[in-house]
Amino acid sequence: METLRLEIVTPEGQIFSDDVKDVTLPGSEGEFGVYPGHASLVSLLQAGVIDIELKNGNHEVVAINWGHAKVDENSVTVLADGAVSIAGDSESQIANSLENARKLLESMSDSDFAIAAATAKIESIAKSRF
Amino acid sequence: MSNLKEIKRKIKSVENTQKTTRAMKLVSTAKLKRAETAAKQSRVYADKINEVLSEIAYKINQYKVGGIESRFFDVIDNPEKVDIVFVTADKGLCGGFNVQTIKAVKRLMEEYKSKKVKVRLRGVGRKGIDFFKFQDIELKSEYVGVSSAPTYEKAQEIIAEAIEDFTNGATDKVILVHNGYKNMISQELKINDIVPVEEPAGFESESKSLMTLEPEEDETILDSLMKKYFEYNMYYALIDSLAAEHSARMQAMDNATNNASERVAMLTLAYNKARQEAITTELIEIISGVESMK
Repeated sequence: METLRLEIVTPEGQIFSDDVKDVTLPGSEGEFGVYPGHASLVSLLQAGVIDIELKNGNHEVVAINWGHAKVDENSVTVLADGAVSIAGDSESQIANSLENARKLLESMSDSDFAIAAATAKIESIAKSRF
Repeated sequence: MSNLKEIKRKIKSVENTQKTTRAMKLVSTAKLKRAETAAKQSRVYADKINEVLSEIAYKINQYKVGGIESRFFDVIDNPEKVDIVFVTADKGLCGGFNVQTIKAVKRLMEEYKSKKVKVRLRGVGRKGIDFFKFQDIELKSEYVGVSSAPTYEKAQEIIAEAIEDFTNGATDKVILVHNGYKNMISQELKINDIVPVEEPAGFESESKSLMTLEPEEDETILDSLMKKYFEYNMYYALIDSLAAEHSARMQAMDNATNNASERVAMLTLAYNKARQEAITTELIEIISGVESMK
């Protein structure tokens, strides 16, 4: 199975680094998905969520406020200003990270619409999982 | 007897100094831990953003991607005007930490001067600024009080002017010099040509395909990425330098404390000798006094 090397880094450190099946990024021109073998691309990202499909088929979600993504055939590097990984074993942990993600998105409140869309998306993903 | 008192006074004074140096060492050790974590955290991001920029530079120079004509990637062999941004500490008492940076800046300046290149300096940190002022070398801009508490906003402010001059064509190259943190006991001088961005020698990109930029209608993305790159490199230089400063000071103060201990041991020996001598003299006096009375 072909995989992509995904790395998400923020000034506070590395958030994610692993081989993944595919990833959906919130580009400034619209959302786009990246599968292995994608053409080289540098894109601006807006506030939104990164949806990662892990090797085992599970999904992981990371909220970012602003950043850049560099894509090539077998790797994706996301340089984000701020990122919150939405994960946790219990419901309270998830709720906690959801709250953090919402705060992060709101801190970049240049577009209310984008925030609303992103928060809705995060919530729906979180709900579908639990 | 006056000799004895004199030595005792010296011992006291050295011991007091030792107390100070020991305290300073402890303070630096504590601060180092914090600064080190900050530097380590940021290193990942700094490395990544440099990597991304290197790859873009490589692709632009190799394939002339999308006809991007940007001064940022145009490597000039003979720059005419160069900006050197250097970072030193505000305080001394940290061994050769500041001197190393200053020497490197001086060497760079002389190198460029011999090639008839105009050099301007932008200084961060009191120690470096004072040095160049004393030498009657003009500094384009000075920032004091940033080195000990670097923030991202400050870094933005420092680098903004240098980049503006570069974008306007007022300078052809910007070099960032700072003494960085290597490990607990050593520092590493880093001289970083931030613009024009050049891929490292022998850089081979894994990906051979052309690169598209999105959004593509303008160069916003490249501009915003470059801005981030400058600011982050500056910020990283500041925190890296702070960590290095603390490690240098910790080491210098450790040496000073050890030296003080040695000095105290030596003085104590001298003191005991002098005391013995005094006792011997007194004894001789008493004995000869008794002898004469017989």
